[in-house]
Amino acid sequence: MRYELFIALRQIRARKFQTILSVGAIALAVMVLTVSQALMVGFTGELYNTTVNKFPHVSVSPQEGEDYIYLYRTLVDETSKVEGVSAVSPFLTGKASFRFKTNSLNAELKGVLPLQENNISNIETDMVEGDLRELEYSRNTIVIGSKLADKLEVNLGDSVDVSFPNSNPLSLRVVGIFHTGSPLDESLTYTSLDTAQEFYNVQDVINGVSVKLEDFNRDREVAAKIEKTGYKARGWTETNPEILRTIAIETTSNNVVLGLIVVIASFGVVSALNLSVIGAISQIGMLRAMGATISSIKTIFVLQSGILGLLGALVGTLTGVAISLGIGQYEMPAASSKLYGGMTTIPIIVRIGDILVIILAVFLLNLIAGIYPAQQAAKLDPVKAISSK
Amino acid sequence: MTEESPIIELKNLTKTYKNGMEFHALDNANLKIKKGEFVAIVGPSGSGKSTLMHLIGLLDTPSSGTLLIDRNDVTNMSDKERSEIRNRMLGFVFQYHHLLPDFTALENVMMPLLIAGKKRKEAKVIAEKLLKEVGLEDRMDHKPGELSGGQNQRVAIARALSCSPAIVLGDEPTGNLDTKTGDMIYELLRQLNKEYNQTFIVVTHNDDMALKADRIIRLVDGKITVQ
Repeated sequence: MRYELFIALRQIRARKFQTILSVGAIALAVMVLTVSQALMVGFTGELYNTTVNKFPHVSVSPQEGEDYIYLYRTLVDETSKVEGVSAVSPFLTGKASFRFKTNSLNAELKGVLPLQENNISNIETDMVEGDLRELEYSRNTIVIGSKLADKLEVNLGDSVDVSFPNSNPLSLRVVGIFHTGSPLDESLTYTSLDTAQEFYNVQDVINGVSVKLEDFNRDREVAAKIEKTGYKARGWTETNPEILRTIAIETTSNNVVLGLIVVIASFGVVSALNLSVIGAISQIGMLRAMGATISSIKTIFVLQSGILGLLGALVGTLTGVAISLGIGQYEMPAASSKLYGGMTTIPIIVRIGDILVIILAVFLLNLIAGIYPAQQAAKLDPVKAISSK
Repeated sequence: MTEESPIIELKNLTKTYKNGMEFHALDNANLKIKKGEFVAIVGPSGSGKSTLMHLIGLLDTPSSGTLLIDRNDVTNMSDKERSEIRNRMLGFVFQYHHLLPDFTALENVMMPLLIAGKKRKEAKVIAEKLLKEVGLEDRMDHKPGELSGGQNQRVAIARALSCSPAIVLGDEPTGNLDTKTGDMIYELLRQLNKEYNQTFIVVTHNDDMALKADRIIRLVDGKITVQ
């Protein structure tokens, strides 16, 4: 073992109280960082699940100047063959007025092939009453959102009157009610593609195709491939840029704050180490007399700072992971669960990579932070240091 | 003077402090010290004894002049080279022992050997032998705080000798001890000097001790007056 490490370790052990304080300060900061990171990743993942994975990753729309896609079966076929595409769903959508008894509201009426649509939006998991598949089995049926149902005061089995200028008014029986926890509950309804074509008074056409990808990060790349078919295709980052922005802003501001906490903790180590340099002046002088070079003296103090940082990072990440997993176990009371859109537990994701990055970063930060006190120690004139006792 | 070349040679060595006015702490010192000599440096306080000591010990750099150790000019060497000479060729005993408080007596004596890059096992064998020699075989695992002043000073002597340096420098090595312990330490140094033929240069205020040396060098106002 190199003697610099021998001395650094011994001095850390000898100054127990100071060591505990330094390691404690870093551990506390790292713990907060670890827990917060696990929460952040968990919530981001949840956000993607509830938003990005609920709407199409790529939307295909008619060619310039057209209202409809006519030969859509070919398009659906070709699109599903594009590499990276996991599901495709054609739809015909538009506005409609819904009336039940004296209540009247406007919403979107989307004609879909239920099975294929479900692969895109997972709407079946959000059904609270009835069944989406019912749309396939009987004509003139509709699935509506929970809020819209409340406002219209309709129940499963009731028939609502649907109308709109230039369309064929229909009476559609409610065969399902979904609840997503999003504004869609008030603004979206599903019917079969046939029923929608009849309502909008068109032939066998659609006005859009929803596409789901294996990896939602590749939306723009896949959209470009689909555009080769001649139709317009837009990735979700283009159609919903605000989601990306929200996540980016939250992650960045979070990381900046947490980074500062760790920097502050490291400053604590620096000032503690600076004090120990002052306390060890005559020892440093004697080490120089014994033949320790200036760079060896520096190494001793940088090592101390680095070791304290590493200890703090290890203790901090360990307790942080333990706390994170504890939080993940916590079951939310039913009342507040509703408030958070149906989440029953707090989403927590502990990624090994994050932990390793945190440990490495804190260790490096402390090595760097140790340079200042180390230089103070190395700058000491050995003659003065020895006469200082 | 014998024909043998000196282990230490000072040529017009000068140390000047500029502190508002110029002050010659050491003024054109010329001196040759032979291998195996036991030299006492005496003089009133402020006469430049410690400055001379620190210059020879490579802890300080001269303003002008040349210093040769074992015929090598060490005046303009880098920190790394000077550190290596301190480690391999020089041993220090100061008025205060300056032992590392968090290490045992044994570890303190091992330290110069570890700095020299020796293995722990090797260093331990040498340190144990030296501590036996200074009569501390049963105190090896004690830390400086658990030892008396005289014991600590003996540990410091063992440490100074651990790398078998050609030159041992003592800056009032008995100054902090009572007369009896001081005499004992002095006798120990004298005995080691005879045993290993190492060169000893000792700064002292004590005339009795100086008289027992092979040679007395007297300094007044930074000038060597008697050799």
